[in-house]
Amino acid sequence: MKLIKLVLPFIIITVSALTLSTFSVSAQAASDGSLVAKGAKLYSENCGRCHNPRPAEEYTKREWSVVMPHMRAKAHMTGKEALAVEAFLASTLTADIRDDDHSSTQDKPQRTGEELVTVFGCQGCHIIKGEGGTLGPQLDTTVADKGVKFVIRKLLEPTFNNAASAMPRYPMSTADKQAIVDYLKSE
Amino acid sequence: MKTKYLYKAVTTALLLSSASVAYASDASTLDVGRLAISGYGDVGYTYQPNKKDADGNDIQNNVVARFIPIFLFQMSEKIHIEAELEFAVDENGETETVLEYANMHYFFNDNTIITAGRFLLPFGQFGANLHPSWINKAASNPGIYGGHGGNGSMGGVTGIMNDTGVNISNTWSLGDAGKLFTDFYVVSGPRQEAGDHGGGVDMDVKKGDNNDSMALGGRVAYAFLPQWEIGLSYYSGAYSNDGELDYTAYTIDFNWIGSYATVRGEIFGSTAGTEWEEEVELPDGSEVHEEFLQDLNKNGFYVQGTWQARQLGKAWLNPIELVLRYSKTASDFDGSISHVLEEDGGRMGSRIYYGINYWLEPSAVLKFGAESTSIDNEAASHDPIADDRIFLQLAFGF
Repeated sequence: MKLIKLVLPFIIITVSALTLSTFSVSAQAASDGSLVAKGAKLYSENCGRCHNPRPAEEYTKREWSVVMPHMRAKAHMTGKEALAVEAFLASTLTADIRDDDHSSTQDKPQRTGEELVTVFGCQGCHIIKGEGGTLGPQLDTTVADKGVKFVIRKLLEPTFNNAASAMPRYPMSTADKQAIVDYLKSE
Repeated sequence: MKTKYLYKAVTTALLLSSASVAYASDASTLDVGRLAISGYGDVGYTYQPNKKDADGNDIQNNVVARFIPIFLFQMSEKIHIEAELEFAVDENGETETVLEYANMHYFFNDNTIITAGRFLLPFGQFGANLHPSWINKAASNPGIYGGHGGNGSMGGVTGIMNDTGVNISNTWSLGDAGKLFTDFYVVSGPRQEAGDHGGGVDMDVKKGDNNDSMALGGRVAYAFLPQWEIGLSYYSGAYSNDGELDYTAYTIDFNWIGSYATVRGEIFGSTAGTEWEEEVELPDGSEVHEEFLQDLNKNGFYVQGTWQARQLGKAWLNPIELVLRYSKTASDFDGSISHVLEEDGGRMGSRIYYGINYWLEPSAVLKFGAESTSIDNEAASHDPIADDRIFLQLAFGF
């Protein structure tokens, strides 16, 4: 018993030291371009611990900004992690990245499938080319297994085949959808 | 002695949190709001063919509806306020209102949150995070839990759910090796129920503390996300009015999350000091009255598995989820102690739940379940009955 009494503070100090040493990495990640992808991964990992992850569209951005501190406390997320999740949620709800066929953003340069997959944080939930989360199915063979039409419709209307799907609906142009399909088909 | 370790752990956690310089100073990418309302609710129908009221009349069904809003208020980047109210219409048609929690989070730094007020105690996973009906995969509670909708004929061995005090929560990153979550709290603690032999332990604290001894507790959990989380919780507090009788409890919780399946559960144990008295016969045939303290133990576990039929790749099966849960409780009241207190000890035994869920939305589910209970100590009740129930419940989060 005396040993436990003696060792406990040292265990906590050691763990704390590890934490402080890794904070610099977290801080850098918070300001880099893959913040959305990091947020998507955290969203997948943390929400699903207790419940089905909920699509971003269920709340507005203003509401999410109030809901996220509540969920940060529930899920034991750090402040940096919560900010990354917020970045992911914002990416699905921000009008200026919505690039539907009728918007004026048709003139924007076409992004590659790989860029779109990164921007939308698809690998937060799906394994693509060996990397990604496990909340959703792996996507390397999805186009071959289910066809192009299925994938296009899933991108357009994520809940069409599964009412409980947490996949966000990303409005995107026909060219964007095709680019993602082409990327998923590539070896 | 164990509470001293908790004191030291709390002090150390506070000191280390103070030393941390990693503040979450980056701005949110969201538009900053002030108020949001979320929450959950459910309406449930329970068919229990053997249930009788006090006059022996059949009560074969219960319809219960609940609405539980959560009010979230963001005062600043550092301060967040939350409160959860439960409005319920019980099986007798009466409306109940319960303040589940009302507290303030202070985001001290990147990895430390100080919570003050009435909050859900981080004791295991079910009470803190998994009990909301749209999150709880079954239509009833695990057999080790009482309260929150009742537990039929089983007594429930733990009622540690919420209390008023202060909690310090930390998240410790271990890099690629996972994360460590710690919570340490000081709360009002349990009270003493009225009754013979010191009564019992009342965990449903609504009237403040009844003695000058606060309860201490904490949870330390290791998480290797997204698959694993294993936690150890401890709780200790004096419950008698004079502060002489203690209640201590622990639980080990585990949670495994797969792409299509989950397995989770808790292993619980508790000890309550109680006052006893008996007449002891001396060798000369005379009797003397003796009073003494004796520990009474309760323990139990539950394990629950779920599986999503979407793994089969058939579109029509995508919304379907199967649930299986087994619970078992045991107690010194199960007959190993021969005493009139046995009547008040609750029934101990095992319970199995089979369920099929149909998900309408990510946060709306229709549950159909069947539950069967086997009671080991039938004598621990004045009206022993079979306890087989069928549930139909619509639960939603919003």
